[in-house]
Amino acid sequence: MSRGPAVALLVATVTANHCNKPVNAGDALRGLSGAEQDRFRRGRVVFDSVFTPERGLGPLFNATACGECHEDPAAGGSGDEVEVHATAFHTGAACDPLAGEGGPVIQLKVTPALKAALGIDSEPFPRDATGRGMRTSLAIFGRGLLDAVPDALILSYADSADRNHDGIRGRPNRFVDGRIGRFGRKAFVPTLDEFNAGAFVAEMGVTDPPQPTEETIGGAPIPPGVDPVADPEINQEQLDLTNDFVRFLAPPSPAPLTNEGRQGRELFSRIGCAGCHIPTLRTGDSPTPALARKTFFAYTDLLLHDMGADRADICLGLATPSDFRTEPLIGLRFAKRFLHDGAATTLEQAIKLHGGEATGARDQFNGLSGARQAALIAFLKSL
Amino acid sequence: MKRGPVVLLAVLIPLALRAARPQQTAPYTYHGTIQAVQLKAGSLDLITGVGMALRLVHVQTTSGTHIANGSAPLALGDLKPGTVIRAECHPSDHGPVADRIEKVAVP
Repeated sequence: MSRGPAVALLVATVTANHCNKPVNAGDALRGLSGAEQDRFRRGRVVFDSVFTPERGLGPLFNATACGECHEDPAAGGSGDEVEVHATAFHTGAACDPLAGEGGPVIQLKVTPALKAALGIDSEPFPRDATGRGMRTSLAIFGRGLLDAVPDALILSYADSADRNHDGIRGRPNRFVDGRIGRFGRKAFVPTLDEFNAGAFVAEMGVTDPPQPTEETIGGAPIPPGVDPVADPEINQEQLDLTNDFVRFLAPPSPAPLTNEGRQGRELFSRIGCAGCHIPTLRTGDSPTPALARKTFFAYTDLLLHDMGADRADICLGLATPSDFRTEPLIGLRFAKRFLHDGAATTLEQAIKLHGGEATGARDQFNGLSGARQAALIAFLKSL
Repeated sequence: MKRGPVVLLAVLIPLALRAARPQQTAPYTYHGTIQAVQLKAGSLDLITGVGMALRLVHVQTTSGTHIANGSAPLALGDLKPGTVIRAECHPSDHGPVADRIEKVAVP
């Protein structure tokens, strides 16, 4: 079946739901209960809390608060921080995330105590790494909705053997325990709660109940006295509040479309962008009614696609260095840099840097007239 | 070849793995992907973790460790890097010791 008519109908339905009053960046989902709104507000406080070494920061870290990297134009938005990931990829072998050498997230900052003890300014880059990935700080609006999408829906879009011969071979990634992943640039992490729990530790060096263990310093133990706060350094309630804040962050309403933007939306589907950036997804059951059985603009299939050798960096799970998850385009108009590594500063550049399975769509974009390219960009800038 | 670097590595690598080990003090079940199997030592390195905070756990087996794929018994040598397992372990002074290792079917 052609996706076009179904997509048009869903777009109309979702648009109708947003007609009354636009949802701004940083707003909570519509339809939350009073108790859920309260947790959203209290969670934002934890999200914006600045950690210090006395409160558990480090000894290795990338940021002192969630809100340091997710801040623009509101809490949960994007940031200008770029971090480093490293893994080892050898053809025919399982991807090595270099967990024993401090990977895959390499912290770029250290606490004064660690610097005094070891004389280092950042975590040593793993000697066995075969790849280095640069990762920009994304806006995380609408992630609760992405979390509530059933695995079965993601798998329904998979086509690893390209049975429909469209050149697109979406496939799921899997976490270390075999579950289907969806979060992170490599779709490695299965759930939002796990992504957040891991981020406290990997990004701030703040241990939590699900991951109460500090990482080593490039595989070596943390020197005595450097990290005196007992693990876990935040409790489950602080983590749960943060999870609820992130879960309840609404996707901002797309801006009203001009005639040009409407033409661009049609081109987006016609030239093949929507083959991976699937416009709408639908959530399944959820204990939160505001997240249950909702159709929302996502512009992703949450699957891995080969983006070509030019963009390749690290492996992770089943993802090879050139495999990346289709980036959700929620809140795209707030982004300052594009692609996983921030290599593009304009949407035109970002499209032109697509390769691999996106080569066909990219080439069709390149073949459009200037006016039509501008229309497609106008549509993207409405998201 | 000089023995010095080899001896140094032989001392440092187990120390590093031990340092990376989550410090569980009660029976614990690890879910993860096998990174390496040391047949002579009867042990394996397992990648576990939460989100992007991954850890390498060194798991020791004994002659009493039950290894299986469903109802079919397996030997340690049947486990390969990349295999997903669930390892029921008890703590020891030298790290977790597996009582049961179950191969997890991944489609």
